Amino acid sequence: MDRLMGVTMALATEVYVLRDRLRALEALLAQQGAVDLQSLNQEVAPDALALHQSDRDAFVAHVLSPLLGKASSLGVQP
Amino acid sequence: MSTVNARAFSAAQDFLLGAKKFWTTQMYPQLQEQERAQASGAKVPVQERVQSNDLYPFYAWMERHLQRMKYAGRYGLVPWHDTQRPALEVALAPIDVPTVPHFAVPAYYPSFDVHQHPGGLMGDSLAGFVYERGARSTTPLDKHFDLHHRFTRQVGALTTPRRILDVGCGFGKSTRPFAQQFAQAEVTATDLSMPCLKLARHLDAQENITHVRYLQADACATGLNAGGYDLVTSTMLLHELPASHLADLFVQAHHLLEPGGWTVHLDFLPQVQPGADGFSHFIHAGHAVRNNEPFMQTLAAFDVRGHLQSLGFTDISITPFAENDQALDPHYPYWRFPWAVVQARKAL
Repeated sequence: MDRLMGVTMALATEVYVLRDRLRALEALLAQQGAVDLQSLNQEVAPDALALHQSDRDAFVAHVLSPLLGKASSLGVQP
Repeated sequence: MSTVNARAFSAAQDFLLGAKKFWTTQMYPQLQEQERAQASGAKVPVQERVQSNDLYPFYAWMERHLQRMKYAGRYGLVPWHDTQRPALEVALAPIDVPTVPHFAVPAYYPSFDVHQHPGGLMGDSLAGFVYERGARSTTPLDKHFDLHHRFTRQVGALTTPRRILDVGCGFGKSTRPFAQQFAQAEVTATDLSMPCLKLARHLDAQENITHVRYLQADACATGLNAGGYDLVTSTMLLHELPASHLADLFVQAHHLLEPGGWTVHLDFLPQVQPGADGFSHFIHAGHAVRNNEPFMQTLAAFDVRGHLQSLGFTDISITPFAENDQALDPHYPYWRFPWAVVQARKAL
């Protein structure tokens, strides 16, 4: 459990570093007029979300499939 | 002030919905398949078999915590709606819903946070908005609101009511289909939650529905006139009631119906489902615990038919209900609620 917590916290730290960098990039782009932050921060409409549903489902499956405990290849039979 | 913007909120909620879909279509079917493989000739009780399955702790964790994350935490429905409070409260401010005389909130109702909704359905003026948003993603495979129209059509095949009472109406998601299908009928709808009732009126106005009378009242003791209705209905109310209130609800329905009137309820009864077995009962009982539904098992154990008979109801039927065209196939692979319709007629 200690080791898994270590992995989780390391990943969380990296996610936060990425969040910080993304925020900084958005601020710079907004300053230069390249993005409209107000538009970017709007809630995505359901029909627009639906366009990305298959990508969402593939992402979820990629992250959660290990929980199913299914082997992806045949192991050596004893 | 929250730093969560609308895009981040909707993306997080969409991810949680995707995870719920994975749970529904991948985790549950695998758990069921493995249980069926182990069940043949097994001497160990079903709950022990399932609990010893490596997948089960993840299945149970996901069911509990996807719902928690949907409602609470950084991207949860409750904190998000709190950031929208001024505009949402303004929307409800002009709406007035009467309360029946001698109304009292039953003690059980605010004693737990139903569905893991922090504060429950009457703990905050925005509780109706939160509940409505949450209901949009209750089931990831079906448009949850479609089933209300399916139910209403089924009632329409039974009777053409002129005076309808919809008890436990929440924000009106069950009421509006009745008001639309039976446009000539007088429709009254009650609930304990004033935030939900106000939202019901607000949403009715958006759909140009003007003939529903909403009242804050206890479904088990409405104070409404005896014999004043020819249809008393509810949707997803029975499993929210303690046993004594459940018994009282049917007494109240009998009291409020005119002779020949129907009482029809859409709810969850695992025992009438095709292919019901120890596994499906265990899964349903676990859902009740993990979703903060303390009376779901009360309903499952309640002798609904016997109670209706004792009250003098006739034409009693308790049948499974198909929320989609495939749902009642005994081999339907995905997780679903054990939808059922209870219907009975007051003797002429």
